[in-house]
Amino acid sequence: MSELEQDRRDIASVLQQPGARPDPSLKITRRTFIHRSCLVGAATVAETFAWWPLLNTLDIAHAADAPFKFAWISDTHLYPRSLNTRFVEKTVRAAKEVQAMNPPADFLIFGGDLAQLGTVEELELGNELLKEIKIRKVYIPGEHDWYLDMGKKWGQLFGQPNWTFDHKGVRFIGLDTISRAPDYWSMRKMSAKERMDHMSVLDGTVAGPWAGVGRDQLDWMQKTLSTWDRNRPVIIFSHNPLYEYYPPWNFWVRDWRDVNEVLKPYTKVTNIHGHVHQVLYNEIGTMRSIGMLATSWPWPYAPEGVPKLTKPMIRVDPGDPFDGVGWSPMSVAADDKIGTEYVMWGRKEVFAQSTEDSHENIPEKLRPRVADNMWPY
Amino acid sequence: MTDRTRLRTALSGVSVAAVLAAVAVFVGPAGAHKDPVTPQQLKAYEDALMEQVKLGDLLFHGDAATEKNMGVSLSKTGMACAMCHPMTADTHPHTYPKFQAQMAKFATLRDMINWCIEKPNQGEMIDSDSDAMKALEAYIYWSNTGSVLIPGRY
Ligand code: HEC
Ligand SMILES: [Fe+2]
Ligand SMILES: [Fe+2]
Repeated sequence: MSELEQDRRDIASVLQQPGARPDPSLKITRRTFIHRSCLVGAATVAETFAWWPLLNTLDIAHAADAPFKFAWISDTHLYPRSLNTRFVEKTVRAAKEVQAMNPPADFLIFGGDLAQLGTVEELELGNELLKEIKIRKVYIPGEHDWYLDMGKKWGQLFGQPNWTFDHKGVRFIGLDTISRAPDYWSMRKMSAKERMDHMSVLDGTVAGPWAGVGRDQLDWMQKTLSTWDRNRPVIIFSHNPLYEYYPPWNFWVRDWRDVNEVLKPYTKVTNIHGHVHQVLYNEIGTMRSIGMLATSWPWPYAPEGVPKLTKPMIRVDPGDPFDGVGWSPMSVAADDKIGTEYVMWGRKEVFAQSTEDSHENIPEKLRPRVADNMWPY
Repeated sequence: MTDRTRLRTALSGVSVAAVLAAVAVFVGPAGAHKDPVTPQQLKAYEDALMEQVKLGDLLFHGDAATEKNMGVSLSKTGMACAMCHPMTADTHPHTYPKFQAQMAKFATLRDMINWCIEKPNQGEMIDSDSDAMKALEAYIYWSNTGSVLIPGRY
């Protein structure tokens, strides 16, 4: 059995035990984006795809003292202006749209991968563009921000990579899933740029399983949560998904088992993550997990491991740089609902409306690459 | 995007071509009594493929040195094919030939490779029989080993 298959079996036996679901007060309504066929048994394709609306709402109990909204932007992957203006334009557009939200969002969470190759120029450009947004801003890092100077510039601009605060009845936690990569560069005597190059390639085989939370941060998270009522809502922001989706692309954190151990006692945990550049939904034990769009470019679904609960997004037109990308306003309502909306520019329908419009229409088997690992690494 | 000069040097040698020329001698002239294929021949054929796969992999991942070496410019945006197609995901070589909506014509994989060079990448289209095209094709097909042929699938 391959290591990947072993992981798959583990996740099924550890996390998806019969009966384990997020708190039952979480109502599955017409407005959720959970793949309905998985919840009510087999449905025809037409039934499954017929009724998905643009706005997606999840019900949770006791969410908020008062209704409020926040906004998510991530994965802008800025290059220097001189090389690529498309990504700049899309970041500007997202920033303008967040600033124009009415009623305004209480804060913006920037979910990582602000820069493409972690340079001072790219990070400063990003910081500059986000100044358009005047509301409170909080940041977590992505791998593209970090591995040129090991987070030095990012830290100067944005501070601590992990943090927590309470807002209107919700405990928010920002996690750093980036900085604890096993050292793959010293032995191979890589330059900082070579280290960053390997880190920046999603299907690279050299950087290995870099995404992780780390024992020290897990302990910090446990301590942070210990002062919080187990039945009250927790929203965790992370760059990577906190479960095992597709390790070859680091669509996971390697210590997802330990994360689950820490979160188990809390019944209303929602994880919102970037990195995957695609619509994703999953339920892991008592935690719900929502994947966000990038503003830069969309990624295809992995050839295997896409959570069964994910209602796939539409296949993208490669001729339109504004297709398949965008940002998300989110709301926590007085009637205890968390709403997630995907703003996908240039699309009326975010979700596939038919099998033909979905990646599922063309099954593929893929092999890992070889050329980055042959000489001398 | 990445430059791995040492790798390029290793690949640009004539070793595989030389080995193939050598094994060709074993095959003999037409009409001669043929020998069963030898492990040495098989290895040479496999190497011929893998050399192209590795070159294609580097082109697909935007390796500047390989592009320069092969005289092509596949992107002007800083983006490489692999940034949208990790492990060649969603290139669907097993669905060709097919009607391609983007071009409004019945197209081959090579047509679509060129379309993606020109549109999302804003690069320079390459000759459809060129070495770079063959290498890209080799890498894309090799990566999709095991994908089942479904010609024409949208
Ligand atoms: C900005 C992102 C982006 C880049 C860069 C890009 N592509 Fe694509 N490409 C796409 C998308 C999106 C599709 C449509 C996938 C689908 O059909 O679901 C696509 C489709 C394709 C297809 C056809 C798949 C099909 O079934 O229609 C091929 C072949 C292809 N790309 C090859 C390439 C090559 C080779 C390069 C580099 C020269 C490249 N692409 C660069 C986004 C990109
Ligand atoms: Fe990203
Ligand atoms: Fe990322």
